[in-house]
Amino acid sequence: MALFRDPSCHPDAGGGVLLADRQNADEVPLVALVGPPNAGKSTLFNQLTGLRQKVANYPGVTVEKHVGTTRLPDHRALELVDLPGANGFSARSMDERVTRDVLEGRVPELRAPDALVLIVDSTRLESQLMLVEPTLKLGIPTLLVLNMADELEQRGGAVRDDVLAERLGVEVVRTNARAGDGLDQVRDFLIAVADRGLLPPRPCPALSNVVTGTPLPMVDQFTERRRRIQEIGRVSGFVLPRGSRLTEQLDGLFLHRVWGPLVFLAVVILVFQSIFTWAVPLMDGVQILVAGSGAWVAEWLPESWFRALLIDGIWAGVGSVVVFLPQILVLFLFLGLLEDSGYMARAAVIADRMMYRVGLQGRAFLPLLSGYACAIPAILAARTVEDERDRLATIFVTPFMTCSARLPVYALLIAAFIPEQRLVGPFLGLRAATLIGLYILGALTAIATAAVLRRTLLRGRRDSFFMELPPYRIPSARSIALRLYDRSRIFLRRAGTIILAVAIVLWFLTQVPQSGGAAPPIDDSALGRMGQMIEPALRPLGFDWTIGVGLISALAAREVIVGTLGTLYSVEDPTQGSLQLQDALRSHLDLGAAVGLLVFFAFALQCTSTIAVMRRETAGWKWPVLQFSYMLALAYGFAFLANWLI
Amino acid sequence: MPVRDAVDLRLVDIPLREVVELVRIDLPADQMEPVLERGLLPGSQLSPVRRSPSGDPIVMVDGTLLAIRREVAHCLCVRRPGSTGA
Repeated sequence: MALFRDPSCHPDAGGGVLLADRQNADEVPLVALVGPPNAGKSTLFNQLTGLRQKVANYPGVTVEKHVGTTRLPDHRALELVDLPGANGFSARSMDERVTRDVLEGRVPELRAPDALVLIVDSTRLESQLMLVEPTLKLGIPTLLVLNMADELEQRGGAVRDDVLAERLGVEVVRTNARAGDGLDQVRDFLIAVADRGLLPPRPCPALSNVVTGTPLPMVDQFTERRRRIQEIGRVSGFVLPRGSRLTEQLDGLFLHRVWGPLVFLAVVILVFQSIFTWAVPLMDGVQILVAGSGAWVAEWLPESWFRALLIDGIWAGVGSVVVFLPQILVLFLFLGLLEDSGYMARAAVIADRMMYRVGLQGRAFLPLLSGYACAIPAILAARTVEDERDRLATIFVTPFMTCSARLPVYALLIAAFIPEQRLVGPFLGLRAATLIGLYILGALTAIATAAVLRRTLLRGRRDSFFMELPPYRIPSARSIALRLYDRSRIFLRRAGTIILAVAIVLWFLTQVPQSGGAAPPIDDSALGRMGQMIEPALRPLGFDWTIGVGLISALAAREVIVGTLGTLYSVEDPTQGSLQLQDALRSHLDLGAAVGLLVFFAFALQCTSTIAVMRRETAGWKWPVLQFSYMLALAYGFAFLANWLI
Repeated sequence: MPVRDAVDLRLVDIPLREVVELVRIDLPADQMEPVLERGLLPGSQLSPVRRSPSGDPIVMVDGTLLAIRREVAHCLCVRRPGSTGA
């Protein structure tokens, strides 16, 4: 491939440090994808690596570095790292720190990249090119990718790539990463990287990528840089495309004074109602499959301890959790559609003023909303929050958001204790309303906690809020499908590891101490005794020892309690079958205690993975310990109140 | 009585759809960078295109729709094209 080398930028092409000199011959070359938020880095990364990774039409979604391998047509391997979106390398946010550290080779487990792919949204080329100077200053061979080129042309925009390439001194290609257009040219660049024949960019007169003496004041640095970029835009014939009509019309509705908040509310209700109605037939299907396959396996195995372990322990325990997969997928389907369509950024704008009042900011909206799926990616997503106090406050309140691991617990208890009644016409039933109520309870507690934190431990000035609103786009089925596949994998892996392990351990604890070669009655078993030991503490909440065992096991992960109770009650009365959990529960809890248990799960930090990620993100034990104690105190207090009042 | 200088015009005062030029940013130095990185620089052409339901401005700058808070819009001094401010 003929690589472009501008003579003005490479006066002595022979004198540069060749890429080959930077690498060991046996190392797989490493290429980093950089660019501003929402330019399409993750989409390109997915296209090139085939690895699954969260991609969304929402600025700032890639929160960790993702590494994947791509195979070149000649079967050579090349490593790609997808970096968080950055508007600059000032390292003001944790995201930008990650990006800068990787680019400068300061991340211990990752060496400095051999080449960069700088991907920008070509529909707003000039503002995006502000990143070009600091990128080229790194002195690493770089490819400039003008993404969303189809949109640029459709909306009447234009740019001459050849002039752009000449002025910047790097090779320029056009892509439409979503459709996969232009990927071959990107691969050509990767082949050149693998051939180790690339030169790093040389100081270019059109840009200030020369290290200069006294730095200018910051505003002047930026205006000077913008002047240079605008000049480059002018000579390369850049025409800013028209605004998207569709986006204008949709914003007229979604950001309307009256309709905007109403649509926002309707979307939230639609999501919650659908996971409780549309997901049900699917869940019934999975339930029939689990029960049927369990019975089928039981028939084929001889009566033995192994059959008991497999059917009463594993099938009952793991099966009662797997049943919730369809519900979680429906939730992620909606979150995916909202993010990829561009609506989520609007929702953040609608939410910002309210969040500002309680001591957070609009950028905390995505972490908090992701918290409805899982606190772990949500806490990582809080890295996009630029102010450190805002970030800590966001992390602290995220576990109050109703994560999908609570959903199986809520679903079970609501189905067992709350009658199905219509509240508002055919649209809102009592069960859905209870679920929404629990979600609101979590959100309100988060708000109150944030407000208190910002007035006490995290007092300080308030940072400003900026939110880019991407154009609305039709979500791609491929991207959504990849994400759902990814979610299923994560969920089933948990079911196959943590939940499986807990199910096996629990089952063994029900089998000892053996008396006369047979398992003891359940309340004499080791497990029963453990439950009875903590029962006095749980009595005021109306919980008996079985719930106590459930709570202990749920420390591993919240949804484990469903499997535990599945194991416990089916062992207790083998004739009952593991899937009649609801009936069994009703004989162990009265309504007050059931509501108490719901409230307990709304508040308690029953998740070791969250505690671990908190420790990492806050660099110490102070915040996780504080948070665990605070949430446990709330959980116990409110469960007690519920049991006492109802 | 001091004459109101054209520079005293703030982004919040500008009616929707009018295109103005940013003249100065009245923010403390440590809050400046995120503003600059998003293309809000002295000399930028910007136009408020909409207000969010809570009344915060959404501006078009360099082809990007950017939602900002009105507290920030108060700190953005602008001038109408053709006027001789600053």
